[in-house]
Amino acid sequence: MVDRIDEAWIARGVRRAPFGRFLLWAAPWAALLALGAYAIFLCLRDGLFHTNMDNRYVFGLWIFLDLAVIALGAGAFFTGFLLYVLRKTELRAVINSAVVIGLVCYSGAVLILAVDVGQPLRAWFTFYHPNVHSMLTEVTFCITCYLTVLLIEYVPVLLKNRRLKMKPSMLVFEYNLHKVMVVFALIGTLLSFFHQGSLGGLFGVLRGRPFAFREGLLIWPSTFFLFVLSAMAVGPSFVAVTTWMAEKITRRRLVKDEVYQTLGRISGKLLLAYVFFKSLDTLLWINQTAPERGFPAHRFYEYGGAFGTWILFTEIALLGLVPALLLLKPEWRARRGLLIAGAALACLGVTLNRFVFTIQTLALPTLPFDRLLLYWPSWQEFAAFGFVLAYGMLVYSFSYRYLKLFPQERELAMNEAKR
Amino acid sequence: MFPWVYGFEWHPGYLVFLGVFFTVAVVVAGTVLAALWRSFTAVRKKHDGRIYWHTAFEELTPEERRCRHALTGELPGRCCDQEFDCRGCRMHARLLYSEEAGAQAAVAEPAEVCGISMPLDRYYHRGHTWVREGEDGMLLVGLDDLGRRLLGSDGAVELPPPGTELRVNEPAFRLRRNGVEARILSPVDGTVEGPAAGGEALVRVRPAAGFRTVHLLRGGEAAAWMWLELDRLQMALAASCGASTLADGGVVAGDLGRCLPKRDFDTACGLAFLDV
Repeated sequence: MVDRIDEAWIARGVRRAPFGRFLLWAAPWAALLALGAYAIFLCLRDGLFHTNMDNRYVFGLWIFLDLAVIALGAGAFFTGFLLYVLRKTELRAVINSAVVIGLVCYSGAVLILAVDVGQPLRAWFTFYHPNVHSMLTEVTFCITCYLTVLLIEYVPVLLKNRRLKMKPSMLVFEYNLHKVMVVFALIGTLLSFFHQGSLGGLFGVLRGRPFAFREGLLIWPSTFFLFVLSAMAVGPSFVAVTTWMAEKITRRRLVKDEVYQTLGRISGKLLLAYVFFKSLDTLLWINQTAPERGFPAHRFYEYGGAFGTWILFTEIALLGLVPALLLLKPEWRARRGLLIAGAALACLGVTLNRFVFTIQTLALPTLPFDRLLLYWPSWQEFAAFGFVLAYGMLVYSFSYRYLKLFPQERELAMNEAKR
Repeated sequence: MFPWVYGFEWHPGYLVFLGVFFTVAVVVAGTVLAALWRSFTAVRKKHDGRIYWHTAFEELTPEERRCRHALTGELPGRCCDQEFDCRGCRMHARLLYSEEAGAQAAVAEPAEVCGISMPLDRYYHRGHTWVREGEDGMLLVGLDDLGRRLLGSDGAVELPPPGTELRVNEPAFRLRRNGVEARILSPVDGTVEGPAAGGEALVRVRPAAGFRTVHLLRGGEAAAWMWLELDRLQMALAASCGASTLADGGVVAGDLGRCLPKRDFDTACGLAFLDV
């Protein structure tokens, strides 16, 4: 009976795992979701003392991962921009997947922010009492708007479901929404540009934290532009990595090779530009910005261990330049293993960059009597992040099972059957 | 200007920031409302059939969208960009009266493709329906042999009531069998007069003024198309159930609904009736 209902919701002409096996796959994620929900409940009920954050370490695991998933989720807006505005039509094969990834990343980030800030019932205060001089206000407004846009972009993907599109009103609404998707792609690009930038700007304007402080253009520090560029660079890479993972887990080909090539090429070019500007920015910071604020740059790395110079080298060279080259050279990019390795390294690179700006910035002393402060998240912090991870996996798994995330799947399956 | 924002001041910071934010909010809301309104009017004007076929056609693979002239070898590899409505296709108009097309259409022998009979006294639609002109000027519309084998003896076709306007490539009938439902496209423009009495036809249709049959397959090209269809069906079933179902040189089973598991039968119906 359940199998019959399940089958009725699965698209025609594609293969999906039996329902029982799908439940087995979903069960551990559901368990993680339950654990995370309990941790979130504790934090909302009792407050942030359940976490290991304090007055010094106000940004912990949650903000670091928020920044990371928002950067990785940039694939949604950037793929939409490439497809609907720049007419890279081959990316139609991954746009639905990119939208789901973006939705999961942004909604997960907003959820964690709600737990971190606390009192979610008063979330509307930020709109009623906006501090227009704060980067955080810009971030809040843009993320809220963009999450709304992502939800709207998800609606046509949802309405493509086999059962839903049987209803004429759903079918027609999906069609009409799809026709105006270019508007949402442009708005998404505008909002993403500003909130990715503002997230970077948040750190760049911290005058009391010379490790993060940067000079810039008008009111925007250089980190504003570097965050935007790095998010644009890794967005396509993350879409490629997730698509590849979906292919490996489902053991099916989901997109054509040319799609990977396009994603890799675009990501490689942008990543190289990012590495160039990041290097330039770092040199300026080492030679000018930091010394002017009384901190020779080498002092930030004197503590060794987790925060030594290796982290700078790893971020720019190993997880920046190397993947850029892997993705740029056509012969290397043509090999799927190298392309995915390059894309995965790029994603790790931007994650490390966000780690440096949140965790390392707060760990380093800024006053003579200060000392290096180390921080390790509590289980509630890990579990709350586990909630977002599990939620993401479940939303993506259900979307893959019941929606047409990869329009080329049926064609590729038929081509393989021919061989 | 922004009375709902507490502490609003006439300051460039407030004006720019809140101005941009509210513009974005208004554009998003306006676009969604416009899409809702257009959907409402489209459903009210019964444009949903056209939209259905437009979206379904986009989901067909390039192989499935192959032009009829590619099937006959006149334009190898060409894909249809007219949503299988050749009436607006310049290329088709140019080729329609060419020698090769004439030769293809002039095949007089009734064709049989893997046991599927294809009488040549009728026109075929790519959604596995056919059209034949009756003696009274009415059009008879029915399912072709493959369609009938999918319908089987215990399947049912939901017919449109008399007076229903049919339009080419818009859903006209619904097939129901074994819990599977598929929409069947109309091959003609016209008004349903009623069910056909006896025979293989499903309904009698009064053709719309100026109705032409140029979009329908005829003669040899219909046989070439059926070969492609069976090939496509075989590949799709192999892809969806992991095993090949039709052996080379065999004939298609008389009642596919009895031979195929439900999931494969569902796939076959979707592919045959272009309801993917």
